[in-house]
Order: sequence, then C-alpha cells, then structure tokens
Amino acid sequence: MQINRLSQGGRIDRSKPLGFRFNGKRYQGFAGDTLASALLANGVLLVSRSFKLHRPRGIVAAGSDEPNAIVQVGSGASTIPNLRATEVELYDGLKARSTKGWPGLRFDIAALNDRFSPLLGAGFYYKTFMRPKAFWKHYERFIRASAGFGAAPQRTDPDRYEHCNAHCDVLVAGAGPAGLMAALVAARSGARVIVADEQNEFGGALLSASATIDGQPAPDWVATVVAELSGYEDVTVLPRSTVFGYHDHNFLTLAERCTDHIGERVQGVRQRLWRVRAKQVVLAQGAFERPLVFCNNDRPGVMTASAVSTYIRRYAVCPGKRAVVFTNNDSAYETALDLRASGATVIVIDSRSGGAGALGAAVRKEGITVLAAHVVTDVTGRRKVAGVRVAQWSGDVTARVENTIRIDCDLLAVSGGWSPAVHLHSHSGGKNVWEESLHCFVPGETAQACVSAGSGNGKWALDACLRDGRDAGAAVASRCGFEAAEVPLPSASDTAVNEMQPLWRVPAVKDPDRCPKQFVDYQNDTSVADIRLAVREGYRNVEHVKRYTALGFGTDQGKLGNINGMAILAECLDEDIKDVGTTTFRPAYTPVTFGVGAGENVGELLDPVRKTAIHEWHEQHGAPFEVVGQWHRPWYFPRGDEDLHAAVARECLATRNSVGIMDASTLGKIDAQGPDVVEFLERIYTHNVGKMKVGRCAYGIMLGEDGMVMDDGVMARLAENRFYLTTTTGGAAPVLAWLETWLQTEWPELEVYLTSLTETYSTIAVAGPNSRRVLQNAGCSIDLERESFPFMSVRSANLAGIPVQLFRVSFSGELAFEVNIDSRYAEQMWRLLMQAGQEFDITPYGTETMHVLRAEKGFVIVGQDTDGSVTPVDLGMNWMLSKDKDYLGKRSLARKDCLREDRKQLVGLLSEDGKTVLPEGTQLVDDTGAPIPVPMCGHVTSSYFSACLGHPIALALVAGGRARRDETTFAAMQDGTRVPVRIVSSVFYDAKGERQNV
Amino acid sequence: MSDARTRVEVLAEIGHINLRGDPGRGAFREIAERVLGQPLPITPNTVSEGGHRVCWLGPDEWSVVTAAGDAGVLLEQLQTALAGEHAAVNDLSGGLAVVRISGADSRRLFARGCTLDFHPDKFVPGSCAQAGLAKASVLFIHTGGRDVFDLVVRRSFLDYMVRWLRHAGAELDIEFH
Repeated sequence: MQINRLSQGGRIDRSKPLGFRFNGKRYQGFAGDTLASALLANGVLLVSRSFKLHRPRGIVAAGSDEPNAIVQVGSGASTIPNLRATEVELYDGLKARSTKGWPGLRFDIAALNDRFSPLLGAGFYYKTFMRPKAFWKHYERFIRASAGFGAAPQRTDPDRYEHCNAHCDVLVAGAGPAGLMAALVAARSGARVIVADEQNEFGGALLSASATIDGQPAPDWVATVVAELSGYEDVTVLPRSTVFGYHDHNFLTLAERCTDHIGERVQGVRQRLWRVRAKQVVLAQGAFERPLVFCNNDRPGVMTASAVSTYIRRYAVCPGKRAVVFTNNDSAYETALDLRASGATVIVIDSRSGGAGALGAAVRKEGITVLAAHVVTDVTGRRKVAGVRVAQWSGDVTARVENTIRIDCDLLAVSGGWSPAVHLHSHSGGKNVWEESLHCFVPGETAQACVSAGSGNGKWALDACLRDGRDAGAAVASRCGFEAAEVPLPSASDTAVNEMQPLWRVPAVKDPDRCPKQFVDYQNDTSVADIRLAVREGYRNVEHVKRYTALGFGTDQGKLGNINGMAILAECLDEDIKDVGTTTFRPAYTPVTFGVGAGENVGELLDPVRKTAIHEWHEQHGAPFEVVGQWHRPWYFPRGDEDLHAAVARECLATRNSVGIMDASTLGKIDAQGPDVVEFLERIYTHNVGKMKVGRCAYGIMLGEDGMVMDDGVMARLAENRFYLTTTTGGAAPVLAWLETWLQTEWPELEVYLTSLTETYSTIAVAGPNSRRVLQNAGCSIDLERESFPFMSVRSANLAGIPVQLFRVSFSGELAFEVNIDSRYAEQMWRLLMQAGQEFDITPYGTETMHVLRAEKGFVIVGQDTDGSVTPVDLGMNWMLSKDKDYLGKRSLARKDCLREDRKQLVGLLSEDGKTVLPEGTQLVDDTGAPIPVPMCGHVTSSYFSACLGHPIALALVAGGRARRDETTFAAMQDGTRVPVRIVSSVFYDAKGERQNV
Repeated sequence: MSDARTRVEVLAEIGHINLRGDPGRGAFREIAERVLGQPLPITPNTVSEGGHRVCWLGPDEWSVVTAAGDAGVLLEQLQTALAGEHAAVNDLSGGLAVVRISGADSRRLFARGCTLDFHPDKFVPGSCAQAGLAKASVLFIHTGGRDVFDLVVRRSFLDYMVRWLRHAGAELDIEFH
C-alpha cells in the first residue's frame, strides 16, 4: 500500500506500476520513482542501521548526499554495493537490501552498541584494540566483520563497460537552472558543449520547484531548453552521468550509468567512463541543504526540508501527516507550504526572532503556526519520530535551554541553510573561501579554466542562478574564442528573503557532552560530543579531527555534515570557521564502480598479446607460450605427452648433437646510421666500436649512468657508417628511447638516425653442429665455411632465393646462424629451413631450451642474472670495458662502492648431491647455524637441469664469489633444509669456446 | 543502407618506406621530393598525396606509404639519390599492417580508445597522427575520402588491434572484413 502517495502531481507515471523487493519484502512503486521515493511512498521509514552504534535510520535526503539509505542492489555477480537509495531509479523486479543490520533491521543485535555509546566515543577502536598487541589477531576478525557496508560480488562481473574519450570547448557539470543557462549560451555561441547531470532528468532543483520561469512551470522551461540543446550537432547531452573527478589540465572524468535504470543483466554497455578534455568548464552542481544538530536528530522521520519538498513535488510522496518544520532560514517555508498543500498539518519552528520574509506571510496566510525564536532540542520516538521538544531560544549558543513545548509529529523537516557543492572546484585545485554573509564556503580563486555558477556559487535565488549561469556561459564561450550569444534572461518568480541565522548546534537542556547524541555526520555516527572529545584530547587541525572522528568519510564524503562539523570544531577551538577551514575534497565525487574504471581492459584485452610472424606455426605444433613482456614466445615443443623437462632435455641434446631451430624474432633491432654513428655508439657501448670491421659483429653491453648493466646484444657493422643493433626482447622500446634521449637532448650535434626494425625483420636461429649444412641444403647463395664467413660476422645472402641477412653468432655456444628476414616471408622461411633440416632431425626449440643452452655457456640474461645493481665487473666482463675511450657509466665504475672486493659477483653453482635443481631466487647462506636473521651471501639467478652434462647447473650472484672458487656454501630451501653447493666457474660447457668457432 | 555501415578491413600489399633527413639542410628535401615526385609535408601531422602517400611523422621523419610492389624500387632510388646527404631510408613494409576503417561510426570507434580529437573540423582530410589506440601505437591517416581512415599498426599488434576493434565496435554499426 502506497500510503504516502499523493493522488496527483509529481513526475511519476501512475500508469506504470513497478514491483520491487526491499529486504525480501514486496512493494510497489511507479515509473519515475527512485527506490527512496518508492519506499517512502510505502511508508517504509526504517531503511538502515547506523555504522557504529547501529541506531535505526531513515531516509534523510533526496540525492547523492543521502547518508543513511545505503543499499545493496541486485544479486550475484552483477550486484552493486553501497548505492544511495535516493539515486537508484526504480525498475520492475528491482531487489535491494540494507547493508547494515543483523539479523534484521527492526531487531539488530549490534544496537547494543548504542546502549554503551558513552564508551564508544571518537577513537574507541584506536584506544581499545591497540593493546595488548598480541591480541589484535583475535580482535581483527570481529572488527573486520562489523566494518564497511555492502558486500563486493564474489564472481566475475558479467557486464560490459567501456571508456570514451571526448573533447569539447565547454563542459557543464550540472543541469539545473545555472548549468542549463550556461550550456544554452555556450551552444548558441557555437561552442562544442558537453552538459552532464547525475540525475535521470535535467533540471536539478527545478524539477521540484514551485517557481515559474517566463510564466511557465519551471519543468516546462527545462524541457524547452533541453530540446534546443539536443538539437545541436556539437552538443552532447548526458543525463545519468556524474562528473566525479576534475583533474589537471581541464581533464574531467564522468561516469555514465547506461542501463542500471532498466534492470540487471541488460544487453549493452552497463556503464561508460567519459574522459573529457575541456577548454573551459562551468561548475553548476548546486548546493546541499544542511541538517540541524540537536538531540536524537537521526531518528527516522527527520529529513532535510528540501528533500521533503522534492518527495512531495517530484515524486508525489508526502512522508508524513503531522509535520514540524525546523529552520534557521527562509527556504524551508516553501516546504511548509508544500506539506500543507499535501494535506499535512504543519508547525514551523524558526530559530530567528524575526522569522521569514515574504514567505513567512504566505505561510501564515495558510494558517500555519510559526514559532519564532524557538528551537527543536530533542526528538522522541525510537524507530520513528513521535514528537519534538521545543524550547525558547535567545540566540546564545552557549546557553542552556528549558523545554517548554512538546509537539507530537511523524515528520520533522529541518533546514540549517545551504552549502554550495564545491567539490569539483576543490578537485581542480581551487580554494574554497568562507563567505561570512552567506555562512558557507564558496568557490574561491580558480586554479584551472573554470567558472562556478548558480547555487554552487552561493547564489540562492532562482533569478540570480539563471543570471549567474548565463554570465558563466558567456564568459567561457568568449574565452574559447566565440562571440558570446546574447541570450535574454528568463524572468523568474522570486520572493524576498530574510537573512539566515547561523545555527551550528542547537543548545540542549543538558551539557553537550551529557545530552542525548547530537549527530553531525549520520553515516559515521559522529556527534557533537565526539568532536569536543577530539579537541579535548589535543586535536586541533581539521584534517586530524576528521580522521579521528571519521567526520566526512564514507559514501557521502561529508556532503551533509561537513560544514556543521567544521563550525562546531571552530567553536570548540574558539576560532573563526574561515581559519579552521575545510578538509580537502578529492575524487570521486560519488563512488564509482570498479567496472567503469576498468572499462574494456579486462580478459583478453587486459594486455596486448604480441605475436611473431611465425606464431601460427608454433601454435599448430603444440607449443605452450611463455609471456615475455607482451610477446608470447614458444616455450617448448612437446612431442607426444612429453612434459617441460622431457621436451627441454630432448631439445637441448638435439641442438648440441645435431641442429635446433628457434624463433628469436622478438629481439629488438635498430638501424643506426649517419656520419657520427661510430662516435655515438662509442659513447653508448663499453667496447671499442670503431675497431669493428665492416661485415663483423660484436657483443655489446650498455650501462646506465650508474655504471650498472642496462642492456646487451649483438651489433653488426653493415657499412662504414651503418650499424645493425640488437637489444634484449624487453629492451627494444626502452633502449631506442634511451638512445634517442641522448641524441636529441644531450648530443644533438651528432648526425645519427635511428630506426626501429624490430617488427620489420624476423630472426630465425639455426644452431648446432649441422646448422651450416641445413643452410646449404636450403640453397644459400654464399659460402658458409669458416674462412669466408667466420664466427661473429654478417653477410647479405639469398636463401632459397629470398634475400636475408645472415649473422654468424651464437647464443648456445654451438656453430650457429641467425637468419634475419623480412617478416612477411618469415613463416615461409621457417618451413623451408625445417624441410632443409629434415635429414638432421632439425628440432624446434623454445625459450626454455634457449635458457638452458646459454646458461651452460655462462651467458647472462640482462634482467634475469642482473637486476639493475650489477656492473660488468661483477659479471666478470672486464674484457668488455674499453680503456681507450669514455662511455656512459664509465665514471661510475670507479666509485668506491663499485670497487669493493665483496660485491656480489657472477659464479656458477653445482649442487653437491648432483641432483637438486635449486629454485631461482634461492638465498645462499654460509653459516647454517646462524640465528635469524641469517646473513645471506648471495642468491641464485638462473637454475636448470642440464641434460648435456647430466646434472643441475646454476648461476648465482655471490659476495666476493670469484675468489671463493671451489668453496662450499648452502642454498636455503623453502622447506627449511640447507643444500650444500659448490662455487664454480660460470662456464659449464666448452670453456674454450671451440664449438661455436668451427 | 549498407553505405552507412562502418567497415573494418585489413589491407594487403602496402609498402612503407621510412625516411629520415633534415629538410632545412643540404639538398635532402629537394632530392627526396624529386625522387618521390611530390612534396614532403612540412606542416606537422599532414599528408602529401601524389604517386605515394607521404605522412609527416616528425620534423625529420616521414612515412611513405605506397604499393608493396613499388617499395623496393623506391627504397633503392632514395638510397642512391640521398647517398651524399645525411639521411636514412628503411623499408619497413615487413613490420607494418594497415587497417582501413571507413564509415560514419569510425570516429566514435576511435574515441573508445584514443585520446585525440577526431572531430571532423579538427582531424580533417589529409591529417595524420601517431597516437595510442587502446594499448597499441598507431599511425592514423585521414585518407581524404569521406570518413575513410587508414590505421598503420605494428604487425605483432595486429591480432590484438582487430580483437579490440571488434570489442569496442560491438555497440556500433560495424562490419568486419
């Protein structure tokens, strides 16, 4: 039964009834309702329990400032926790439940907390659960269980989210009277405009206003403006879109809720993130009505006056029959009129001795009693307002008052004045300043290209809002270079108002620390007494008081309670509010879902998968892939039901004994040419580049300025002034950027051009004693014998008629060739080579075998055996360091620390039992009996079982390791055992390097 | 109505010559323009159309997009002619793929993953720009045809790019070829 539904009016569609469930119970509302308005229509006042004290709570507000009605909507994987019922549009079949209250809302066990509330003041958790320290593990379970509100879904989100980038001249945040005027002016001036509003309909406060604009009801004027805006090609109209962040460089983020109002699991994009770059921004988000702070002001049935008006006028719901309106300003008198028009009885309590202006007369004309110079001090009733206690008040906040009147009522509408929504202005870096005449913070100096307008700028009256919006629109349009369109100001009905009276807390019959709770922040159960306690305990800074009392945290981020809290803090500190200041507002303005943040960057689109030109062949031949950066490289090629170890052993032996073939295309490749290329490379690499002859290759390493090994690779001198550089797979992009940085910023005088060839050429490594014969079989156009094509040289050639660059280099220690070929022909070449190698049982191998083969030779992998703290000397590569020239990092190698004898140095390790393969990363310890923390002397960087040698091998970095040859140290295994290992040379196989040189 | 649909297709047989040189020094510009038979675009992010499509990539870098069959000859001609200049010419055809996207929803599709402003007044015919699209880097070329764009993508990213385009275009009226 919609007992509170009015028979007419409102922006709901009575012909479209919608069924919904709240806490398991069935209700009915209408299209156009929010969950909150539908609950109120059904007379549901109790919607939640409070965070700490579990007090019964009802709906307070009608928008994003709602602190109590925090609900979990939907079910299963698509549920969303912690939505404000005031923002949830009703749809048929909607399921929602309270996020607090166990076992139920009416009987909540934890409500006992309220009984003991004197013990649960600010800092209760800090004070109580810190000691004894060891007990935290017992407390934690209970505290975690009682913390927070809703529950995150446990399963993968089934819905689709997306991101959208947008550019505009003018972004208007908020489509109330000021925002609409600003958008209209900007649009008529020819600007590209985006106008966004968090609500389902544009109009803001006008949707529930009694005022007329240009003689027509305000909502009609809104419809006219929206229709015009929608007609412009370059105007984007975004309802249900919250501007939730204002970042640097006029970059703003919006969350658009596309299907949440239709239902769950709806086809299409559920929510969209707009990333907007605006030349100018108009902030027109409006203002929030402040509650008043008195005893038991949190009882269900206490609402802000504007919310009551909104429920009556927009949703045709009158939340009470016998209402009291308690105010310190004129605006709530409108609510009194609305209540009266809905058939409720009304009494107005006004703290001001003079009462209201013109509206006061209108109220009295309706026969409504107004008690001026009175305040509501306390509320009776527990799960529902039953009445109020009223006292006469002189205006002295420190005075004690005597209750003289008791009024029975079921609704208490309160208004403590208005606070502009300065959040986005604050996000943008702008300051907020206290405006003494308005008793609120207003946007101060702007830090970015934006203007605030309307009630968000401290303009309360409708005509002032319209004018402010128009002026803002004209200002931003002309700043964008447009001639601002002349838009006549619509005429708005308006009435004169009396000044509001600041009333930050209402005096009670008792001392504020002893009287019943006077709540400042409903969501966090922060009361006047909590703030006073914080100050007594020494907190003076507003940011500290916020964190100690939790004032302003939670989903509403203090939209309702912050200013009252600041003012009460100022009173306690005996300072001006402007000196106390506010806390800093940060994105997000209202909570946004993780889904909208992630957008489409989930699942297979989380990170690009880069594939080599031969990828398909690898796939067809059953290779599992290893992820290297974004590349997917074949890991090994199992035959039959071989596992990794069996396949790798076979691949290793095949390569050492006959011939193997590997896709090495992911290596970075850079073409470097120009008259100064030798000079440039001399400065980058540590070896003597100039001594390289044309047609020869060299292994090169480059150091960071700190002298640490940064990248390595083979380079080839193709011509006098042209080199072909290779980098590690992961180094391809960063090395090119590193080289360009030096060229462009430090050595612009050097004439060198660098071009990335990583993708242009694919690299096929053919390694093993039979590799030469494979290439010969494939119809190689050049003589491959040692005399004409020695180790470490490069030749242009044709293989089966296809032009290639042949490198005679080896990363396995075997006779080997690397075929560099235009990627378009790479797969064809791979197949050709497989065929040519058939008689030698040519064996494709993956990254794992490559690792084993290179480790047997003691070749390091930058990034595996090094970690950015390893010098070439640590690796035993002194022979790579030219003494004849300077190069990046050289000076750092002479630092005292780099000369230490006990630096970690690269060594080989052999498990003394001949069978333990040490896990990579294993720490090495010398003294197995040492107490914790055990001193560590090194760690394992690479470790494999070597099929060729018949035992495990490992590379490690060991402090002073080279001088410790043949000593024993211990590998600390995860299970606590210590495996003795012998320190040996890092070259395990063919120490003289004869096999690659045949 | 099929005209209105946005098409996505991967073009085959496209050649790409990367050209480096300082247009303000020596005879580089004159030689390059003579060999190409068309001007080198000097205005940032513009394209010169002629026998080839020459895209500005940087103050000293261009991409010459041409038929794959012509790239080899063009490479040799440029290398020979520019031998006396400080220049670099590379045939990158093997490493690049071209995705052509045409139709009314093209710009909306780009907006899903690219931060550039593709408004018809801003990204006009004859524009080109290097930018990220989703998590790949792309050269966007407005070919001059109404709503016809060529996206030059690194070949290792092509598979990802097409997957992303399919996903991002799911809500739009797009056909894939």
